[in-house]
Amino acid sequence: MGEEKDLLSTLLLELRRGTLTISVLSQMNEPKYGYALVQSLEEKGVAIDPNTLYPLLRRLESQQLLESKWETSGTKPRKYYQRTEYGTQVYEQMKIYWNNLSAGIERLLEEEEE
Amino acid sequence: MTPNEKDYMDRYIYQVIHRLPKAQREEVRMELEELISDMYADRGSMEEVLTELGDPAEFAKQYQNEQKYLIGPEYFDTYLWFVKVVLICAAVPILIISLINAIGEMPAITSQNAASVIIRAIVDGLIVGITDAMLSCISAFGAVTLTFAIMERKKIQIEMKKAEKWSVESLSEERKTPSSRWTPKILEPVPDKKAIISRGDSIVGIVFIVIFSVLLIFAPHFFAAIFTEGEAITTVPVFNLEQWGIVLPVFVISLLIGLIDEILRLIIGVYCKLVMISNILCGVIQIVLSAIVLKVLPIWNPNFVLEIEQALGANADSSANFFTYWNADMVSNGLLAFIVVITLFEIGVTIYKTLRYGVSVKNGINSNT
Repeated sequence: MGEEKDLLSTLLLELRRGTLTISVLSQMNEPKYGYALVQSLEEKGVAIDPNTLYPLLRRLESQQLLESKWETSGTKPRKYYQRTEYGTQVYEQMKIYWNNLSAGIERLLEEEEE
Repeated sequence: MTPNEKDYMDRYIYQVIHRLPKAQREEVRMELEELISDMYADRGSMEEVLTELGDPAEFAKQYQNEQKYLIGPEYFDTYLWFVKVVLICAAVPILIISLINAIGEMPAITSQNAASVIIRAIVDGLIVGITDAMLSCISAFGAVTLTFAIMERKKIQIEMKKAEKWSVESLSEERKTPSSRWTPKILEPVPDKKAIISRGDSIVGIVFIVIFSVLLIFAPHFFAAIFTEGEAITTVPVFNLEQWGIVLPVFVISLLIGLIDEILRLIIGVYCKLVMISNILCGVIQIVLSAIVLKVLPIWNPNFVLEIEQALGANADSSANFFTYWNADMVSNGLLAFIVVITLFEIGVTIYKTLRYGVSVKNGINSNT
């Protein structure tokens, strides 16, 4: 049983991994700091662990999809991330791809249920 | 946040960032301070926050997105068989030389102790040989691994397929602007079973060449007539060891050319024009070099017969008469003839198999008519 569970969690992890980027990019039109993003994603039903999200934000920044700025005027320094122009272009492409993919998969799964 | 809780936060952050590259640490520290204090404001308990974030080692792993391997999947298969061949080439010659040396240094044999002395020598040789072979295997393994690790880092492409496609014609024909895009046209026809060069044969060939080269370089005195006279062992070298400095390089170059040919066969793995051309060229060069070594250079010990007669001395018996027939010219001619026949035979087999079953690796589908 344990093995089965491991396999399932590995498969689910793989399935989820690719969706994280598009989920995050979708929220970054406006500048947001990390924890606010965690909360807003959670509210919308796409929870991402902070220990996955923070490294991911850095990675997206190094890929120039996001840019960041430290805001030091408040009570404590916060790092705000926002989509770059390039990030927006990439996000739009990903959105088209995702819509096709999810429609296709939905058809497959419905067929199965019939 | 109590000082105690602040202390735990700092500990946690330290556990994450000390696993990261120095350049990232300060920034990540600030990010994590921001995150943890935000979460703390939400949850109200540092323990709960840190438990939710989980093992700092796992957290740090998420930050390390660069490659964490020495030799990646792209190179791994090539690396694996390369290691095998190199290890065989490193171990076998050393084992053989150790055995030969041990037998050469064997104390005198008398009829009573013959068996035990020989066994002793073989055991000693094996012990030394296995130790040395293991050491040399470790170095060889290290060298190959290092080379591949560097290639992996530098992303040097050793595309064997490219080598397969190359042929002399490609220099002149339309291939001047090679398209990097894959099309079905560059699919190579499935090789005839008989066109496949056995890897085992190539490896045996390579190992044999390496052993022979090592022996010629490090133990030319091994090629000798050995006499035992009571306690003393006399060896009379066949080769002209005084002139060895002139002979050896030509010998080694000839073997090296053979080695290149074998390696090419191993890499390409099927009979094709490139293999055929290489085989013809290498074969011809080897015949020429053999002729030079055997007929021009002073390869043979000029005093061979004399020294043997001296060694045999008084107790020369009729069986030694054989050596009086030793004739360097005859031996040279015989060997040369043997080499020429063997080489021509190999070239013949290669040409036959290439023309009959060979793969035309030039133009893929188009040329397979």
